[in-house]
Formats: sequence, structure tokens, C-alpha cells
Amino acid sequence: MTIVKPVIYGNISRYFGKKRDEDGHTHQWTVYVKPYKNEDLSTYVKKINFKLHESYPNPNRVLVKPPYEVTETGWGEFEVVIKIYFNDPNERPVTIYHLLKLFQSETDIMLGKKSLVAEYYDEIVFQDPTAMMQQLLNSTRPVAIGAYKHETDFEEKKEKTLEKILSAKTKIRYEIQELNERLKQKKESIQTLKDHLEKLEDADVTDVENVT
Amino acid sequence: KKAKIVKMAAGMDVRDILELEGPEQQFITKDALMNDRKKKVAKKTDVSFKRPEGMHRELWGLLWTDNKDAPPIIPTDTNQGYKQMKAKIGSSKVRPWKWMPFTNPARKDGAVFYHWRRVADEGKDYPFARFNKAVDIPVYSDLEYQQHLHDDNWTRQETDFLFDQCKRFDLRFIIVHDRWDRDKFPNRSVEDIKERYYSICNTLTKVRAPQGSEPKIRAFDAEHERKRKLQLTKLFDRTPEQVEEEEHLIAELKKIELRKKEREKKTQDLQKLITAADSNFDARRSEKKQTKKKIHTPHQKINPTVSTPEPSGIKFADFKTSGVSLRSQRMKLPASIGQKKLKAIEQVLEELGIEYSPIPTEDTVTHFNELRQDIVLLYELKIALATCDYELESLKHRFETLAPGKPLPVETCIKSEPESSVLSAETTGSMVNPSLSPDSPSKQKMLAEAIDVLNANPPGTPNRKRKAALELPNMLKKIKQKM
Repeated sequence: MTIVKPVIYGNISRYFGKKRDEDGHTHQWTVYVKPYKNEDLSTYVKKINFKLHESYPNPNRVLVKPPYEVTETGWGEFEVVIKIYFNDPNERPVTIYHLLKLFQSETDIMLGKKSLVAEYYDEIVFQDPTAMMQQLLNSTRPVAIGAYKHETDFEEKKEKTLEKILSAKTKIRYEIQELNERLKQKKESIQTLKDHLEKLEDADVTDVENVT
Repeated sequence: KKAKIVKMAAGMDVRDILELEGPEQQFITKDALMNDRKKKVAKKTDVSFKRPEGMHRELWGLLWTDNKDAPPIIPTDTNQGYKQMKAKIGSSKVRPWKWMPFTNPARKDGAVFYHWRRVADEGKDYPFARFNKAVDIPVYSDLEYQQHLHDDNWTRQETDFLFDQCKRFDLRFIIVHDRWDRDKFPNRSVEDIKERYYSICNTLTKVRAPQGSEPKIRAFDAEHERKRKLQLTKLFDRTPEQVEEEEHLIAELKKIELRKKEREKKTQDLQKLITAADSNFDARRSEKKQTKKKIHTPHQKINPTVSTPEPSGIKFADFKTSGVSLRSQRMKLPASIGQKKLKAIEQVLEELGIEYSPIPTEDTVTHFNELRQDIVLLYELKIALATCDYELESLKHRFETLAPGKPLPVETCIKSEPESSVLSAETTGSMVNPSLSPDSPSKQKMLAEAIDVLNANPPGTPNRKRKAALELPNMLKKIKQKM
């Protein structure tokens, strides 16, 4: 029995437009974890721990209810360790590593006119959860009123990626077959040559024997 | 009272009733117990030895007081102390010796010699005479000789001489051969002598043996002996150069054998690879046929818990256990995968425009893993192909040396894989069997080329090399035209 909960994680960031004098910060960013579908994660999630860079005070930011996000300002990119704990103590927490993205070469983002979004899709797979956990996982309530959308069109991405991979598979398979055929041919050639050589060598040997 | 007697067991109670005197029965008191102990202790200290005068207290303690055990050493007679004692050899009395004559019964001349001997041994036989052992040489009668032992190559005299020599020298054939009378008789080799001797002995044993018994016959193969000795002399007489040459040849042989084994191993791996690739496709094509065997083979790749033979790709981590995990974890490549395979995968993914870590849905993950396994298989096939080419080349050379000028019995257009470049696509494209590839051959670029198998060149240089290589024949043409 498997239950799959897709989630979106990542960050959104925006350039101030200039470098702040007092601390040198240049960007404001929010790192977050959102459910893919419109549901209240806290039904089955106990807490989410965002571990920031040690230069931040209290780098361990713990969220126990939605929205599971941390907003801060800074000047550099670093890896955020996101650890999701579940309400079932039997289940171990899952860890996601996200590299905070602040910089991109697109002009509008560089100027601070547009926010940069770097979010990713992943799935939390619950293999044989306990009855209690099953109950929690299946009885979620929506968290947002109204439309619930993500910045990135993941459905499209899913489709396109799968398509590409499948076509790649077909291509590779054809090539493998082709190589296989050639390999077989070469093997046969090798064998034929070897047989011929053996005969030649035997003939040689007998010649030598006849002479002595 | 009677009833009492019936009920009770024998022993104290009965005695009590019958008022018999039993053994002293004390009521167990504390005092009694304590006294018992004291008595035993007292008994032990009755016997005590006095420390001998002059002995150190500690030494005495070691011996006696400390443990009150029996002394660990048997007291010895210490009268002598530390002076050097004279060696005592055997019994005390000295036996006299006398200068006396003796004869050696082993001698035939009865000569008398003198030597020192113990008086007690006077008159006894010379003890060393018993070592005069002789070999049993058969003696034949004239009749026996005439009937059985006649030989065309050996005269009676020579035979007699032979036996006499054998007797004299106790069958030491080398000496017999050395002392052979070459004036009187023809020159005989050791084998000749032995042959004659043993054949006579065997004949005699056969003839003399009583009816029905099986006499033991000494087997002597003169021919074999001659050959053997000849071989040994030849071996011994080899010059140092010859010895060296032989060693050299043996070493060469070993090397050749080793290489042969390696090649055989490679062909075996090749075979495995081919069968793996084959079974891979047979299974996938006929996935709908739900026979057990065919289910097993596709799952050989998908189900990582079954151990797969080495050539068939990479194993992904097992995620069958219960618990929570991230889908993206199932896409992770195992740590054991080598650098070359990794690079091959990356190169092909780049060509195809697929991210190294695509969006992890269930289907995507499964297919992506399979894709990467296929890429690794393709890579291995490429390597196998290169090995084949190498082997073909070496075989070709051998053929040409053995049969120069003769045409090759095999079509060996050895097309070595070009390094990744757009130009080569056309040449390879034309080689592709059109029925197999989905796109038109001339336009399709072989992904296999993306995998750099032959030379690990940094990207960019292959194109440059290719260009230079193409320019060369053009340049040559121009030079020829000018000339």
C-alpha cells in the first residue's frame, strides 16, 4: 500500500535594486515547501525545519503550520536543508536539499523588476504507512480558498519530460540493437579468421615436420 | 506402641523407642561446630620442623612455614657443595686391555693381525667380520648354459668372465664396465652388460623354479635405459646459450598463453553482453507474453534486488522496504558506478536534451533509470566493439604474415568509431540498416558517437582534428596537381 504526496519546494527571490548599506544585503528571498495539490500539510506533517546558513541568527527555522516558508534578506546563495517531520513517530523525516537561487542573467531579474522563481517538484512516497498515518494522509482539507496555482507549470513539465525520455529510450534501443548486430558479425568474422589461421598454422607445422 | 512401630521408619526413632544405644547423638550446637573446627586445626599443627641452623628465615619460610605443605624438593646430600665433581662413567672398576692377535674370518688367507682388545673379550670372534656380506650371484652349470643361456652375441667365455666380474665387484656394474677386458672381448656398454646379466638371471629363475610357482622376474629394459642415458647426456651437454634460449622460449610461451586467456575472457564477456542485449530486447518486445521466463528477464533490470550479470548495466538502490522516502532519491545513481560510465551517461543525456535530474514522477523515474541502464549497455557494447576491432586487426596481421598476398577470407571493413563530430554522421549514417533506425539514416546522428570510447579528448578538439584530417587529402591533391 503506497500513498504518494507530491510537494513543491524552492524559493522566490527579488533584487532590492541596490546593495543595502548597513549589512550589504542585496536580495529578499522566501524559501518554502508547498503541497502540490491544495491541501493542509499539517494534517500529516508535524513540522518542517529550514536550516539556513550559519551566518543567520537562529539558523534553524521551524514551522509547524502552513504557510511553511522562511523569508529573509541576504546577499549570497547557499544550500538550505529542509527536513520534514511527520505526525507519525514511526516515520522518519525526509530531507530535501535546496540551493537558494538569487542570480540569473535575465535582465528584468537582474534589475529587480521581476522576481526569480526556482521551484522543484518532488514526491513523498509513503510505503506501507500505519493505519493512523493512512487516515491522516487521506483526510486532508484544502488550505487555500479559491484558485491554487504554482509559479511553474509542472503538469506540462511532467508531460514533456516523460515524452523526451520515452523517445530517448526508443532511440537508444535501436542503437543497441544495431551495435549488437555488428558485434555479432564481427564475432563471426573473428571466428572465421581464427579457424583459417589454425588451418594455416597446422599446415605450417606439418611442413616443418616434413622437412626435418 | 505397636502402631507407632509400624508407622515409623528405622533409624533414630526406632532406637529411641527400643531404647537402644545408638551412636553418640549430639544435638547440633554452635559450640559443637566450633569445637569440631578447632580440633581439626589443632591436629594439623602437631607436626612441626625446626629450622636448621644457619638457614635464612625466608628460605625456611619458602620451604616450610608459609604453606605447611610437604617440601617441594627431595632433600639431597649437600655434603659436596660446589666443588667440581669427577665424572662418573658406568661401573667403578676399570677393565684391562691386552695386545692380542686375531684373524678375520672374512679373509681367505688366514693372516694374523694384532690389536688392542679387552681381556674379557679374548677369544671372541672378530666383530667386524659380520659385515662381509656378498651378493648372491647365480651359478649356472654347463648343461644349463647349453640348454637355456646360449646367445649369439656372447661367447661362453665372455659370459663366464661377466659373471666372474659381477661376483668380484658385487654387481657394481659401473666398475664391471670399467674393468672390462677390451682386448679379449668386444666393447660392451653398461646396458649391454646389464642386459646379458639380467636375462640370464631371469632365465635361470624361470627354469629352476619348481612347477607351478611364479618366480619373480627382474624387468630390465635395456633399450629404454640407453635412451634415457642418452637424453640425460644431451641435457647435460647443452651449452649455456641453448639453456638461455630454452628459458626464453618458455617465457614467451607463457606470455602468449596469458594473452590468449585474456582474449578468451574478453570474448566470453562479449558473449554475455550480446546475450544480455538480446534477452533485453526479446523480453521487452514480448512483454505481453506472460511466461515466467520472459517476466524474469525484464525484471532483471527493473528489479534491482536480483543480482544481474556484470555486463548488463547499473543497479539502482532498493526501495522495497516500508517507510517514507522522496521520489527523487530513486533516481540517484549508485556510488559504485565508474567515472567513465558516468561521463558516457552525461554525454548522451546532453545530446538528447534531458536534464541530469528530471522531474521525479513515478513513470519518469522508472523510465529514466531504464534509459540510463540502456546508455550504459550501449557504452559497454561500444567498448566490446572496439575490442573486437582490435582483435580483428591482430588476426589480420597474423594472417598476412602466415599467408602473405592471399586475400582475407573475411570481409573486414573495420570502421573504427570516429570521435564525436557532425561530419562523421553521414558516413555512419549510411552504414545504419535503414530498416532498423526510425529516422532517415543520413539525417540521424548516432548517439553512440556521443560516447567517447577511443580517446578521452576534451570537447572541441575532435572537431578541429577532424577538420585537419579532411584537409590533408585536399592538400595532397593540390600538390599532385601542381607537380
